Amino acid sequence: MADPMLLMLIYAPLLAGALNLFFPRVLQKILAGLCLGLCGYLAAVLFSGGVVPFPGDSAPVPLRYFGLDRLSLFALVAVQALALIIFLFTLRGVDSEIEKSFFVLYPLTLGFTNGTLLSDNAVALMIFWGLSGLMLYLFNLLGRGAGAPESAKKTFILVGGSDAFLILGLVLMGVSLPAAGWSLHLMRFPLAGFANILAFVCLAIAALAKAGGFPLHTWVPPFAKEAPVEAVAFMPASLDKILGIYLLARMVTSLFAVTTAVHLVLITLGTVTVITAVMMALIQHNGRRLLGYHAVSQVGYMIMGVGSGSALAFAGGLFHLLNNAIYKSSLFLTLGSVEKKTGSHELDDLGGLGALMPVTSLAGLISALSISGIPPFNGFFSKWMIYQGLLEKARDASRPEAIWLLICLVLAVFGSALTLASFLKFLHAVFLGKRPKVHDGVTEAPVNQRISTAILSLLCIVFGLFAIHIPLREFILPILHENGMAVPAYPGVYKAGLVLVMMAAAFALALLVYLLTRRKVRYDDVYLGGMDALEKFRVSGTAFYREIRDMEPLRFLYDQAEKHRFDLKEILTGGTLRLSGLFQKVHPGFLSLYLLFIVLGMLVFLLIK
Amino acid sequence: MILPYFIAIPLLSAFLIALIAGRRDSWAILLSNVAATSLLILSVYVLAARHGETLIYEMGGWMPPLGIVLVQDALTGLMLVLVSLISLLSLIFSVSYIRHLDRSWRYYALFMLLITGMNGVIITGDLFNLFVFMEIALFSAFALVAYGGRAEEYEAAFKYAVMGALSSAIILIGIAVLYSATSTLTMAGIAEVLPEKDPKIMYWVGGLFLAGFGLKAAVIPFHAWLPDAHSSAPAPISAMLSGVLIKVPGIYVLMRVFMNVFGAPDLFMQTFLVLGTVSILIGVFLAVGQWDMKRLLAYHSISQIGYILLGMGLATPLGILGAVFHLFNHAVFKSLLFYNAGAVEVALGTRDLKRMGNLTRILPVTSLTSMVASLSISGIPPFNGFFSKLILIIAAIQAGRPGLALAAAVGSLLTLASFMKLQKYGFRGEREVKTVKATIGWGMKTAMIVLAVCCLLSSFLVMPGIREICLDPVVSVLLDPSRYIQMVMGR
Repeated sequence: MADPMLLMLIYAPLLAGALNLFFPRVLQKILAGLCLGLCGYLAAVLFSGGVVPFPGDSAPVPLRYFGLDRLSLFALVAVQALALIIFLFTLRGVDSEIEKSFFVLYPLTLGFTNGTLLSDNAVALMIFWGLSGLMLYLFNLLGRGAGAPESAKKTFILVGGSDAFLILGLVLMGVSLPAAGWSLHLMRFPLAGFANILAFVCLAIAALAKAGGFPLHTWVPPFAKEAPVEAVAFMPASLDKILGIYLLARMVTSLFAVTTAVHLVLITLGTVTVITAVMMALIQHNGRRLLGYHAVSQVGYMIMGVGSGSALAFAGGLFHLLNNAIYKSSLFLTLGSVEKKTGSHELDDLGGLGALMPVTSLAGLISALSISGIPPFNGFFSKWMIYQGLLEKARDASRPEAIWLLICLVLAVFGSALTLASFLKFLHAVFLGKRPKVHDGVTEAPVNQRISTAILSLLCIVFGLFAIHIPLREFILPILHENGMAVPAYPGVYKAGLVLVMMAAAFALALLVYLLTRRKVRYDDVYLGGMDALEKFRVSGTAFYREIRDMEPLRFLYDQAEKHRFDLKEILTGGTLRLSGLFQKVHPGFLSLYLLFIVLGMLVFLLIK
Repeated sequence: MILPYFIAIPLLSAFLIALIAGRRDSWAILLSNVAATSLLILSVYVLAARHGETLIYEMGGWMPPLGIVLVQDALTGLMLVLVSLISLLSLIFSVSYIRHLDRSWRYYALFMLLITGMNGVIITGDLFNLFVFMEIALFSAFALVAYGGRAEEYEAAFKYAVMGALSSAIILIGIAVLYSATSTLTMAGIAEVLPEKDPKIMYWVGGLFLAGFGLKAAVIPFHAWLPDAHSSAPAPISAMLSGVLIKVPGIYVLMRVFMNVFGAPDLFMQTFLVLGTVSILIGVFLAVGQWDMKRLLAYHSISQIGYILLGMGLATPLGILGAVFHLFNHAVFKSLLFYNAGAVEVALGTRDLKRMGNLTRILPVTSLTSMVASLSISGIPPFNGFFSKLILIIAAIQAGRPGLALAAAVGSLLTLASFMKLQKYGFRGEREVKTVKATIGWGMKTAMIVLAVCCLLSSFLVMPGIREICLDPVVSVLLDPSRYIQMVMGR
């Protein structure tokens, strides 16, 4: 019953992508739209039917390639919804030079992502996972900037290279448990023994690289800057996060019996991801790079939650995954709308656009508040769950573990505060402050883009206010139930309605104070010692945190980071090239030396007998 | 009766070209392409229509051990198809490529002698006959490497000839020792007699053959001739050298001798594993630092040969399957990469990646096909390299060697890094290239497109239904030496 639907979710987008190679642009959009609609419908049917074909699937294990459980259903529905919303944005605005290729890659990416999520067979997972990584590379190559080829190279070396480890990990698992017939849902390994630990590490590398977790995150900011903005919203902001965290969630729930030490390692990795990325985001002058670093930072929370071993934090991690995909794609699309109108995504070039682009700026504001964890938006609730989960875990842990967990927790909260600080700068630089004259003629984004960002912003509000009723109850708690986790009893401290009332009261009080103490405001020009208020004296907001940048020892760390000294890819590249140089020194082109190689080699062969 | 044609057709066409071509190359092109096409048709016919069947041809009606036999089994069938396919496409590519150098018939005559030598090595059942054909192929290859006539090409050909001569001498000593011990040169006959002899003979000869044929296969530490020769030769010859020549007197003979004649002794299989792993890693480390496009590709040939040796050394059905499949795939994508390098060299007059630029608009076919080939060699799905590397990794882990699987995965990652560099600097560099020195001819484009399609289609060789025809019989041949002896010796 379910199989044809699952296959349709993979084949329909792939067929649409293939046909779009030959179709003109209008037909491409129609076909892609129809296909996305169909996928959305199928996902809705699967969701409403509660179809869980794994246990009831009659196909013998070696023949079962695709299946669906609650975790994949959650990810699948999120992917279809996001693909559809982002598609609305792409209907008008994609760079005409790349539009044709874009609408080939877009449905193909959806097909490969669906294939990854639905794969129950390890080999099928490897293939679809690799293909989705390839799409990342191809999307990046569509970028028009001079840095696009370099960022595409970096992205694919990290993401495509990590596929080799995914393969290794899955093969280690598949071979050591032949009875499972390569079926993922029949595999469960203790984290003991070299092969099992190696398999876990390999899969973790793949998951972290895809999601953009430390230390394999360094492809995300350059990709965010160089790729078409629609592709950035679609892939690293949404789909790749979902795939990476989906794999991590599967690893800790069904593939491996994870120990406390591994939980602590994952929580630590998550914390480092949160802090390092948000610190980098603070000092960025490019809007897309800033959002790219925040995309990384938010993954840290997901890794902390999903990898913590606490059911509440696990649920929070998955919820944060969904929330992040919503507000992060909204933020990228918002900036995309601004960029398409102004021709720049450099924060120094922007400013004062809020009045000219009210819907876009409102969407940007809501998304920024959401990512900063301000109640009652969705980002607050998921972070809250993660914090609560970690506190619960600390309560039951040994003293050293508890102290470590609390340190991580404090850093995560601090990261959230820094996120807010960073987005104040972002909002000021883009929508507030004095507008450069060159942007005086800017108008609001096209209606399709406004609808797209508005829907995403609305979801930020709805998933904050009705977090328990919609995303948690319908999608996330069933995952916990399916994996035998105790469904958390919610601490009574947070009630969305109560928070809303209190915030409304606070705003009403502030309004009252304002009205009662209102004075006539005098507007005047900025006084600059008698000089004209030239463009160069405009405060763009990018220098808000220059003090942090210049503070010792942070200055040293920032200097090193900007020289890529902490970039794992650059470190490995340097090591590889040094080794390559050493080997090349042994190949100077002297025939006599090469003849010596041959004779020595032959002697070794003759002597080993 | 079909087997002698694989030698006679290219040999006859080589001499006919020399006789009737005259000053222009038109007849030479026609004759060589007709000959290569007929060889491809014949080889596909033998593989598809008579699959699983072993054909024996006794030359002059003399039975072994007195006479020389030609043998066609599944392994030779696959190798003949591979050689014929790459030869035909390289000839098509050569039509416009070689005209940038000259319009002489000599190139085509030498090319046909190269095919003669390789086909002879593949189908002969006699060890000394194999040596003779190998020398025919190598002498043609020396001349073809130097065909451009520049100093670096002469130097590369000279080095290749000296090192090739040394390895041939080593091989000849090995054959002489083997003949003195077994009194026969028929490989099946040697395989029959050798178990009764002192094992030291096999180990000594094996050591000599490992060094000798190892050099032909460019296995580390016998690889040093390859980067110069492959980067200096004309592009279609580089494709032939890297695509098939290192495989025929190299890998194919190693497979045939060590598995069918020596019976896959454990010591040699372990040695293959070590050599394979070392070649994978050192080859790729050497490649990743190169800026000369053809030199980069040449070092990758060493690395990819390492994967094949790794599969052979595992000596399990899956390992052999992976090795044979990767052998086929490597021939396809590496030949394509050399065609790409040749096309870029024709268009821009350089092989230096730093001096290339954004070629996607001006050389769309070359750029696109190079992307396909780069993804294939890097093991990215859905291209052929992904499946053969996957099989090799599964085989290594099944054989209880996760360390080797890890080495293969690391090698694959570094290969990807290297080809991302090639794509970035070679085809998508910052400088927008607007004009070319010379246009890419239709023949060059056709050859590139066909091989790019093959990179995708050959992934299906492991599909059930196709694998049983193409690859499984090869695995059976290599894993069962007694069958080879029985078929050739008739007992």
